[in-house]
Amino acid sequence: MNAEASADNIIEVRDLVVQYGDHTVINEISFNVRRGEIFVILGGSGCGKSTLLRNLVGLMKPSKGTIAINGEDFTAMKDSERSLVRKHMGMCFQGSALFNSMTVGDNVALPLREHTQLEESTIEIMTRIKLELVGLGEFADYLPSELSGGMKKRAGLARAMAMDPEIIFYDEPSAGLDPIVAAGLDELIRQMQNTFNVTSIVVTHELESVKMIADRVCMLEKGHIIGIGSLEEIRNIDHPYVKRFFARKSQPESASDNTYFQTMTGETKTT
Amino acid sequence: MTLFFGYVGRTTLNSLFSFALVCQLMLDTLNWLFLQPLLGKGLRWRSAIEQFVEFGARSMPIVGLITFLVGAIIALQSAYTLEQWGATRFIADLVGISALRELAPLMAAILVTGRNGSAIAAEIGTMKVAEEIDALEVMGLNPVKFLVVPKFLAMVLALPCITVLAMFIMIAGGFFVSVFVIDVDAAVYIEQTMGALKGKDLLTGMVKSFFFALVICWVGIYRGFQVEGGAEGVGRQTTSSVVTSIFLIIIADLVWTILFYFL
Repeated sequence: MNAEASADNIIEVRDLVVQYGDHTVINEISFNVRRGEIFVILGGSGCGKSTLLRNLVGLMKPSKGTIAINGEDFTAMKDSERSLVRKHMGMCFQGSALFNSMTVGDNVALPLREHTQLEESTIEIMTRIKLELVGLGEFADYLPSELSGGMKKRAGLARAMAMDPEIIFYDEPSAGLDPIVAAGLDELIRQMQNTFNVTSIVVTHELESVKMIADRVCMLEKGHIIGIGSLEEIRNIDHPYVKRFFARKSQPESASDNTYFQTMTGETKTT
Repeated sequence: MTLFFGYVGRTTLNSLFSFALVCQLMLDTLNWLFLQPLLGKGLRWRSAIEQFVEFGARSMPIVGLITFLVGAIIALQSAYTLEQWGATRFIADLVGISALRELAPLMAAILVTGRNGSAIAAEIGTMKVAEEIDALEVMGLNPVKFLVVPKFLAMVLALPCITVLAMFIMIAGGFFVSVFVIDVDAAVYIEQTMGALKGKDLLTGMVKSFFFALVICWVGIYRGFQVEGGAEGVGRQTTSSVVTSIFLIIIADLVWTILFYFL
């Protein structure tokens, strides 16, 4: 795979291994994310894509391997250095993760209030600009609980954009939204990339959404990368999992009687 | 037999592990409470004051009511025995000493556990489930600085304040019953109370309530961060925060009572 180092790569992942106890979730994967692209991590439920994302933003520590952001090893950093890097990162959570005790405006203003020395009036203007950007200019004084699911995600994006980040991570941006609202969000992701040249890393399993936004796709299965490339390139990979994924076919029943017997009795054969 | 040893071993390991987690959390909090503000990282005063009002002022009505009633109850109960010796004036001593040394700190702590300790656990737990804690971290905001330190500071200041007021209210409850029900002379009651109480009694109560505050806030915060998986997890940890907290308060109470008895 094209994992050679280059100045154009904003994120470089090398031989990443993540384990929960004895269970290996991500097994020796390497890839690069280029500056300014929308990089989609695609895969079914339980393939390790959310775990990969948590590692990329530093919410989890990998068991092995390195993640370099702008050429600096993110995994080996001290907390204080990491929090500096994080000022250039934004993340949109699956459930928006807005602070429920604060208004939408305060949510967006929070990173500015905490990380910058700006005047309160400046912060207010910047908050309004960010909210306007996602079409929520009117809703600064609302509480998150008063917004719909789609609006919450937009507000989450506004908060992620607050510090004008270089990279935005999206965790399942269209999950739980109807097709129209999801499409609106996809357009917004595109728009952010076009207007501000932010690098976006999107974790999803929604093919429709991938079609709209992806510059490059990384297909994950059971902690391995099956392929990286444009959506067309991925679609043409000759791999049973990829074929099923794109044809929307279910997993065939247990491959052999032997494995079925093993799962039922809990005996594991040493291989 | 192996099952038994396995159980003992696992339980010991688990408790050692959670003890280590609590210690880590404590060190983090002390770091963000004392060290980092000196390095210019600031403290979230506004949040701490809001919490102080919540823990202190908003708890006061119920704490006041309960401690008044408890004062009245002790007065009646001691009158039951003391009347036989015609020594009802000593009700004042009994009420005063038990209020200061024991009951006011204990009642206040137990009520605040139920009211605020559980709320701390539920709030942090819900934030964890909703990925809000993760969101803080990704923004480069330390959850300990942001959530724990203000609550810690507020609790450690609020509970002793409530306790002092509770002491007075409890004595007032005893006074009320003694004067209007048992017919002790008001002046005698006040004189007896003044004579019986020493500075050391107040100190005992204050030291206890400080340690109770530590317990309430630690247990609440720790249980909150322990929450895993959904609303059910929040409920479980909230309940267990109240039980653990009351248990540890009683233990702490016993330890300090023994220490002050011999001091």
